[in-house]
Amino acid sequence: MSPLQVCLLFSSALFCIGLVGALSRSNAILVLLGIELMLNAANLNFIAFWRYSPAPAVGTGVLFVIFSIAVAAAEAAVGLALVIAIYRHQKNIRLQEANRLKG
Amino acid sequence: MSPDYTGLFQALRPETSLLFGALVALGLDLSLFRRHTSGERLNLALWIGALAVLAAGAHVWFGPHGPIFGGVLILDPLAVATRLGVLALTLLTLGVATAARTPRNPAEYVAIILFATTGFMLMAAAQQLLLAFLALELASLSLYVLAGFDKTRPESAEAALKYFLFGGMAAAFLLFGFSLIYGLTGSIELLEIARQLTLQGLSPLLVVALVMVLVAFGFKAAAAPFHLWAPDVYEGAPTPSAAFIASASKLAGFTLFARLLWPGLRAAAGNVSTLHGAPGWLPAVAVISAVSLLLGNFAALAQTNVRRLLAYSAIAHAGALLLGVIAAGRSGPAPFFFYAATYGLATVGAFGVLAVVERTGSCQKITDLAGLHRRSPLLAGCLAIFMLSLAGIPPLAGFFGKFTVFAAALQLGGLAGPAGWLAFLAIALSALALYYYLIVLKQALVAPPTANASRIVVPTLARFTLMAAAGLIVLFGVAPSLLLDLF
Repeated sequence: MSPLQVCLLFSSALFCIGLVGALSRSNAILVLLGIELMLNAANLNFIAFWRYSPAPAVGTGVLFVIFSIAVAAAEAAVGLALVIAIYRHQKNIRLQEANRLKG
Repeated sequence: MSPDYTGLFQALRPETSLLFGALVALGLDLSLFRRHTSGERLNLALWIGALAVLAAGAHVWFGPHGPIFGGVLILDPLAVATRLGVLALTLLTLGVATAARTPRNPAEYVAIILFATTGFMLMAAAQQLLLAFLALELASLSLYVLAGFDKTRPESAEAALKYFLFGGMAAAFLLFGFSLIYGLTGSIELLEIARQLTLQGLSPLLVVALVMVLVAFGFKAAAAPFHLWAPDVYEGAPTPSAAFIASASKLAGFTLFARLLWPGLRAAAGNVSTLHGAPGWLPAVAVISAVSLLLGNFAALAQTNVRRLLAYSAIAHAGALLLGVIAAGRSGPAPFFFYAATYGLATVGAFGVLAVVERTGSCQKITDLAGLHRRSPLLAGCLAIFMLSLAGIPPLAGFFGKFTVFAAALQLGGLAGPAGWLAFLAIALSALALYYYLIVLKQALVAPPTANASRIVVPTLARFTLMAAAGLIVLFGVAPSLLLDLF
């Protein structure tokens, strides 16, 4: 197996772990962690494709990753703020209890 | 090629004026107007926001056209039309905000609306994956905050959290899909990607990338089966936020993804004009469109909450809009742009009516609208125009939107293939949709008011906003070429 394939397998596994975590957890922060894992799997892909591309001198992949890490940080900030907002109302962050809206 | 920063600055003047407006609104609110009442602060922020939006509109109208900064941005007719549409919808949202309950931090509210608008503006013009991702995230993160802005109501926080968790997952899917596209083509420029994919054809890795991009697309468009957030957000979010999420965000999202799919991934489009067409993303989009049409229309029938009804009807409209995206390869983007823009106008207007009714008490159930024609004839008349336009009754703009989209879809291959059948399904379900829109109108126009219902006083700015939205819907219905001539 070439190094690129190993990287892709690893990032796909990471993405799946993140997805399963995000879908199965009931704690809002653990769901947030799952989403971060998925984003980082994509970042890993970018780095791997950039490193093993025919022209690694062009830094497209790395630049994309730098921006997406910044976006992930902003997303975590907004996400944690919303978790705090829900905590203020129901005094916990269990997603099963956030079920006022349905129909 | 040396980077053309002057051209970039010229092209980004609309975004600059929006950001400048947001910062001025925040700065004035924090310094000179700190001791004023929150109503005065809201008015100040809204006027500054409206001025910034108008300035941005002038810059879009008189600004440069064509590819900018080596093709990172493209200001073609679709981009210019979408930018103007987004700005108009933002202006109407600001007008709706004058009628709604004053948020606790009014300047922040307006500033975040302007940040989201900046994201939409960039989404409309992005022709590169990195810029598209950043613009989408700027808009999405602002919308999550707007949905959760009412800190006093637990419903608002819950709606925002649900929106955020689904949206975050969609963003991860989108980023993963983009990384695979980058790996396959070695580029993040849409035109270069298109060139490479024509040479390569459909590979298994590209199929995975397409699925991931379509999941994110489905989320943004609130298309089934990725629609779960929409009813909760429409119900729980503050009314102006819900109006904004339902209108401007839809328009910009559809423009971005039509650009991504048609010029960018055209080589992997496949075919839905005939039954045994080539595989690609077109059949997948057709399936999502059919599921959205069916689920949206049938679920809307069962709703007793008027906002959830609007949400499920939005899912149905997303299905019809996807049909427009399918047809865009042959007929150009004009049909789905017209549909999305007029749908946005009608939705902002409908939420505006709800915001005004909310001033006298809760307005969640359809029966809360009972006797609206006695309580405020103006509101009832405007609501009738918005709902009938959503249902697609001529001579309102919604009718012509449906007509252009379905005609474009039928031109793809007539009734010989799934695209034609889908158009027929959409036409049949439009008749169904008329039923649930008329249930709302029956309460508003026929049912007597409840005993303790008082007359509703419509604030001047809100009255002006609603009449502008209703007037535009009638105008574009009578003279659709006013919008279509932008292309």
